[in-house]
Amino acid sequence: MIRVALIGNPNVGKSLMFNNLTGGKAHVGNWPGKTVEKKVGVCVHRGVKMEIIDLPGTYSLTARSVDELIARNFIVEEKPDVVVDIVDASNLERNLYLTLQLLELEANVVVALNKFDVARALGYDIDVEKLSKLLGVPVIPTVATTKEGIEELKDAIIEAARRKRRPPRIEYGREIEEIITAVEEAIKKDVTLVERYPTRWLAIKLLEGDEEVLKLVEKSPYRDEIMEALS
Amino acid sequence: MGENPEVYLIEKRYELIHSIVSQVMRGERPLTLSDMLDKIFLHKVFGIPIFLALWWALFRFTFDVSAPLSDLIDLAFSKLGEIAMTHVPNERLASFLAQGICAGFGSVLVFVPPIFFMFLGLAVLEDTGYLARAAFVVDRVLYKLGLHGKSFIPMLIGFGCNVPAVMATRTIDTEQDRVLTILVNPLMSCSARLPVYVLVGGAVLGAYAAAGIYGMYLLGIGLAVCMALLFRKAIPFFKAERPAFIMELPLYAVPTWRGLFMHMWERGSDFLRKAGTIIFAVMIVLWFLSTHPWAATHGGVDVASSYMAVIGRTLEPLFRPLGFDWRCVTALFFGFLAKEVVVETFGLLTGAGGADLREAVSSLFTPVKALAFMAFTLIYVPCVATLAAIYRETGSLKWTLFAVVYELLLAYAVSLVIVVVGHVLGFP
Repeated sequence: MIRVALIGNPNVGKSLMFNNLTGGKAHVGNWPGKTVEKKVGVCVHRGVKMEIIDLPGTYSLTARSVDELIARNFIVEEKPDVVVDIVDASNLERNLYLTLQLLELEANVVVALNKFDVARALGYDIDVEKLSKLLGVPVIPTVATTKEGIEELKDAIIEAARRKRRPPRIEYGREIEEIITAVEEAIKKDVTLVERYPTRWLAIKLLEGDEEVLKLVEKSPYRDEIMEALS
Repeated sequence: MGENPEVYLIEKRYELIHSIVSQVMRGERPLTLSDMLDKIFLHKVFGIPIFLALWWALFRFTFDVSAPLSDLIDLAFSKLGEIAMTHVPNERLASFLAQGICAGFGSVLVFVPPIFFMFLGLAVLEDTGYLARAAFVVDRVLYKLGLHGKSFIPMLIGFGCNVPAVMATRTIDTEQDRVLTILVNPLMSCSARLPVYVLVGGAVLGAYAAAGIYGMYLLGIGLAVCMALLFRKAIPFFKAERPAFIMELPLYAVPTWRGLFMHMWERGSDFLRKAGTIIFAVMIVLWFLSTHPWAATHGGVDVASSYMAVIGRTLEPLFRPLGFDWRCVTALFFGFLAKEVVVETFGLLTGAGGADLREAVSSLFTPVKALAFMAFTLIYVPCVATLAAIYRETGSLKWTLFAVVYELLLAYAVSLVIVVVGHVLGFP
């Protein structure tokens, strides 16, 4: 069974997309130890069974709010086969920030370019192929309200699960890349960290001063080396 | 790379996003009406004055439209009281019905029209999408002043009632910002304080009543900001880095009548429910305290020799510098139960209702003292329900007590300043 996580900014039509994929049948519970609702459903497409997990709607993946932490921990720790990032096509610029963060997390991303009709009505013309090439992930235009593009999205999910690709790297410029590499080298000495997390992501989060990642590194036997590379 | 690597990384990501979007997106988003409105409402210079002007319009609307309705309700209850007094043979029961039930309910229900209209106006601002803009405009200022942008929503709710407002601080991410917002929230003038302003302001300030009431709201906002700044600077607990404020601005929309009335009813009926339960119980206690000992008060006529007067007179010396007499002090004392109780207490103490109450109150205050009293009502201890909410949300007796003590001191200080400045300027 393929495990698929749904993520997206608030108000992008994520719940509607969840219903389209699962036929509205969902098991509703809570995220462990949290009051945030967790919805899980099943989708069968061309004989392939998919488990769809609805993540909380967020703008980014920092450690600052409960919702963001739940979404991020799920992707980092549970490693779903595919992460469907639902992007509001009429508000591309803002929505892509989350997409970049998912790429940085080295998630196996499929972008659903939702509200494609609204974008068109507003006068936008989006080059879907080029967007897919630039992001290095499949991009499927969808309209959740009319179920347009849903079948194509399911195909893309199965395809992505079969053929896990390495997401492209976001380059931050030489000066900071040097620090990122140095920190990453230090992190790579800790085998448990390497097994569980993308090392480049850990390095970037350390640079950002992310509290949760700092706590992780605190427990590492190579803590001093990592912190030295950071400063 | 600059001082903050996090900001640098975010900027780099946005640069990349910008370059991607410019490559894949053709066609330009036409300038919608929503964008044009935002150009005005979110303007760097005009944003704040527009916000203040709309807030003022809301107040004018609230009081001008509701005044005749309030007068009508008032008239009905004083007539009912008179009927009870003349037709009920048992003196004590008659006094209870007239001075307890009728005067009490009357003095609360009179404030139902302004409160409903206020919430109707607020619903218009909210459903058109302006309220979210107001949060955005105010955040620019709030952030500099030591509060978080997300504090604005609980602060706005505070204008309705501080209890849900304190609970609404749950949306704030950091502990420091949350506690700070909770501590200054009671300074947002809730709807229960409005009846006090309307009574005292309306009775004493004459043509300047609306301005005085509007002033109280501004004073509350100003003090909240000052206190937030002070606490942030002076208390080590609040010194921490603060995240930026991200908020979505919905498109402007024409509100529906159904939506407006739903919002108005939800919040307004909340007040009504309170008026029906807590206040009813308090009213009976107050009636008892103001008419007993029955013999000494000559059957509830002479309030000056009642238990209530004893409480007021005991506390009076403390308030002499502010020029509040024992009746004002008694009213404030009972206002701790719920701030609108101040109005009922005045009603019982002066034995008057409606237009008579207004007259009775006007004899208690000079304009300067009225302002000082309104300010005191605004600032001093939050009501019991709000205190309970503060305790529940902070989980700390220390912060709850801190809220009580700082607000009492602040109320006294501000009222004293008003009285002193008033005297210096030559007002009686």
